Amino acid sequence: MDPNRLHLNFGNNGDRLAPSDRTYPTTPSTFPQPVFPNASGQQAAQQAQGGQQYGYPANNYFPPGQYQQGYAPQGGDYGNAGYQPRSNTPGTNDPNVGLAHQFSHQNLGGAARGNAYGGSRGPSPGQRPRTAGGSGNQQPGYGYGNAPPLPTSSSRNAPDFQQAPERYPEKYGINSNNNQKKCSQLAADFFKDSVKRARERNLRQSEMEQKLSEPSQSASRREQIWQNGGKKEARYLRFLRTKDKPENYTTVKIIGKGAFGEVKLVQKKSDGVVYAMKSLIKTEMFKKDQLAHVRAERDILAESDSPWVVKLFTTFQDANFLYMLMEFLPGGDLMTMLIKYEIFSEDITRFYIAEIVLAIEAVHKLGFIHRDIKPDNILLDRGGHVKLTDFGLSTGFHKLHDNNYYQQLLQGKSNRPRDRNSVAIDQINLTVSNRAQINDWRRSRRLMAYSTVGTPDYIAPEIFTGHGYTFDCDWWSLGTIMFECLVGWPPFCAEDSHDTYRKIVNWRQSLYFPDDITLGAEAEHLIRSLICNTEVRLGRSGAHEIKNHAFFRGVEFDSLRRIRAPFEPRLTSATDTTYFPTDEIDQTDNATVLKAQALAAGKPIEDTPEMSLPFIGYTFKRFDNNFR
Amino acid sequence: MSNLFSGINARFRGTSSKAPGQNKSPITTSSGQPNSPTNLSPGSQSSSSLAPKIPPLPSSPSLAQNIGMDDTNSMMSNGEDVLGSYHLPRPLPLWLNASYAKHIVKGNFMTLSARPKTVEQGEWIAHQVVEHYRNLWNFVRVIHEKEDDGTTICNPSTCPRMSAGANHSFTWLNAKREPVELPAYEYITLMQRWISGKIDDVNIFPTDTNGVSFAHNPAITTSPLSQLTNPGDKEWIGKRSGFPENFVEVCQTIFRQMFRVYAHLYWAHFIDPFYHLNLEKQLNSCFSHFVLTACALDMLKPHELEPMQPLIDLWAANGTFPQGCKAYEYANHRAGDRLMQLANIS
Repeated sequence: MDPNRLHLNFGNNGDRLAPSDRTYPTTPSTFPQPVFPNASGQQAAQQAQGGQQYGYPANNYFPPGQYQQGYAPQGGDYGNAGYQPRSNTPGTNDPNVGLAHQFSHQNLGGAARGNAYGGSRGPSPGQRPRTAGGSGNQQPGYGYGNAPPLPTSSSRNAPDFQQAPERYPEKYGINSNNNQKKCSQLAADFFKDSVKRARERNLRQSEMEQKLSEPSQSASRREQIWQNGGKKEARYLRFLRTKDKPENYTTVKIIGKGAFGEVKLVQKKSDGVVYAMKSLIKTEMFKKDQLAHVRAERDILAESDSPWVVKLFTTFQDANFLYMLMEFLPGGDLMTMLIKYEIFSEDITRFYIAEIVLAIEAVHKLGFIHRDIKPDNILLDRGGHVKLTDFGLSTGFHKLHDNNYYQQLLQGKSNRPRDRNSVAIDQINLTVSNRAQINDWRRSRRLMAYSTVGTPDYIAPEIFTGHGYTFDCDWWSLGTIMFECLVGWPPFCAEDSHDTYRKIVNWRQSLYFPDDITLGAEAEHLIRSLICNTEVRLGRSGAHEIKNHAFFRGVEFDSLRRIRAPFEPRLTSATDTTYFPTDEIDQTDNATVLKAQALAAGKPIEDTPEMSLPFIGYTFKRFDNNFR
Repeated sequence: MSNLFSGINARFRGTSSKAPGQNKSPITTSSGQPNSPTNLSPGSQSSSSLAPKIPPLPSSPSLAQNIGMDDTNSMMSNGEDVLGSYHLPRPLPLWLNASYAKHIVKGNFMTLSARPKTVEQGEWIAHQVVEHYRNLWNFVRVIHEKEDDGTTICNPSTCPRMSAGANHSFTWLNAKREPVELPAYEYITLMQRWISGKIDDVNIFPTDTNGVSFAHNPAITTSPLSQLTNPGDKEWIGKRSGFPENFVEVCQTIFRQMFRVYAHLYWAHFIDPFYHLNLEKQLNSCFSHFVLTACALDMLKPHELEPMQPLIDLWAANGTFPQGCKAYEYANHRAGDRLMQLANIS
């Protein structure tokens, strides 16, 4: 045995444990280092121990096999590494890449999902340092139902201990096995969330300390900074230990409705703060196979802190609904604006398209392909600037990853959505002269947006031809939106989705710029550079390709969000819903409907609803403006 | 922070080994009783201490150094002696095998337990109570929730007592403050009801975000405390944040109860079902985080750790508990090293 170790283990040698000069891990500079921060003597001792593989590998919170790629906090880099590893996934034909792939990172140790998504993930990256002991950890299929840890030198000769039997999860009932999954995921989530929170808290702490250390700060101001800091942290802690529920909010208005739920403008009763609350009907999500999407949306919104992405404050659930509490963007969406203004001038189009470029770029940097960029998902904030929403839930997302679904649509018979007004439109004949007809189409569009099927108008052909797709599919969508802004309808607009699919796949024949609308040469060139085969599509090697296009000459991308937007919402109050078509939306909320149904059917209500397995780990709480 | 982490001599652990019966005294949670939903209150003692458990005192530093020079054998036997004093079953339980004492998380758990400087102590304790309770319940659910046929993994025939090995079983105090032995299943049911009764009571765990306070910092908070509180008034942890006078006491009881459940999970259910269900690493991570937090916040006293002492020793030896934290100091390092050796890890 190493004398160092003995030294260590006898503890009382006086060269360690100097309580007075101990700094604690809340010190921001030391926090992300899992090595216990302290005097060099300790460090050395730790290293000696580390040599035995029982210290704290400095950069590895999670052992291999549990967090394969997504969460490998290295220094302050936690969560930022997303783009790199995830960009491996696009371009494959695997229907489970992208958002669903991201989803897979969340299902730690859940056997079923691990298998379902494991294929696109590849083996555990080799750079992961081996950690303690090194038995069984590296098995890629870590889940449950396996044999005991691999016999290694560490466990081979241990007759002093009870022998580990062969693992036999099947001996337990369904509920126990379900509880196993919950337990495994919730434990992993707990540590992931706690580390993230501690890290953010320390960041705030160091910001505060910096403020305190400014010499110009008066004593009373310093005191105030300290007190406010402590109170904000405390409010957040209370928020964390309180279960949120819909009864804590009053509904102002229902501002959107879809097949899976609705979006309401709500006001928190305790402090009057206004939010947009999206509530999703669990049974619908479950039936329509939307779980991965919901989870993906929760994840991307929870991770992101971008001004281009709508902010998520918290998620919670009850027996019937999942709730997402998000920032309310009073400017409405681009779809409503297009319905109102029909077409935009080239200057105004330039502004929105440039902002959308930045927004898509931000999403890509988070490692996501949005795949459902469309005017309904482009929201306008108070100042009229763009934010993206609907990551994975949106109505057009039905089985988006399932190639078969699209193949069926392509080959099958015309598949007219029931709830869409049938409007006979042949895009070829559309001219300014039959705007009335187009307006009919626009109105039906909103219905379309609320249906399960959603509108395929903006989807890139490679997504449903099943030849694989990558980040640039979002740039195709950008091209179709730009076309719509300048022309007044999307380029592959057709009477029903089936025809639209066909037109998109045959875009070479069907992409047509109407004669009576004059487009600038550069605008048309940009559109044609986006609506084209993925091999030559602009933006394929990054957003800069698009930003450098002549159409954007003179656009200062870096300061775009700070200039005045061409349309600034005019609002009379914090709960003004002028920019939402609330009069077109049935104001009876789903909770009321469901309650009535449940009452009629005499159905019992689950007693621990938040524990229903598919939605486990959904709850999320952000420290944000509320507490800042 | 210093009050949280002021060093406790590691020897405390050795010297504190109680005389038999010392921990028979009922806990002082009488104030909690009226809220107790049943006529049983959480009470509490470790009964049936069948064997004297007096680990030898750790060697003096000079002896330690002496040993450290070369004589590993005497050290081993020393560790063996300590282990022997625990009166553990042989072969040793699987969870004391270092290969099965691993985690789903790496790194310094203390970063999650340490109170942020600006946060008032009571607020932080409340937060930790709730977090650890939620964690614990994830495991309890596995053994405690009924299958469709009404059976549970933990039931009166598998666990007729709330036991933690042969040497420990925990009793519940009934309305007459008499200790009663209950099957573990029932004990846990009562415990859960009692704890959630406390946690959900906004008089004990206030949730109003307007009532919050902050940590007093003499270097910055220049207003004298007298401005924050009335001079002659009684002071207690959490007072300025709206926590009641017995708050710390209630939280200590909650932590003690949670510890007992963890102890039962290890002693009675580690293999069946947690190992079989591949949850032992999760259990280890949540329990070690629990012990670290409970010790750091003085929610558990060293002698209360007794049923799980060898695992704590092992975790101090294998690096789970960082040096300098109280859990590390409460560990017997020779016993931990011996366990590492037995598992062939050194």
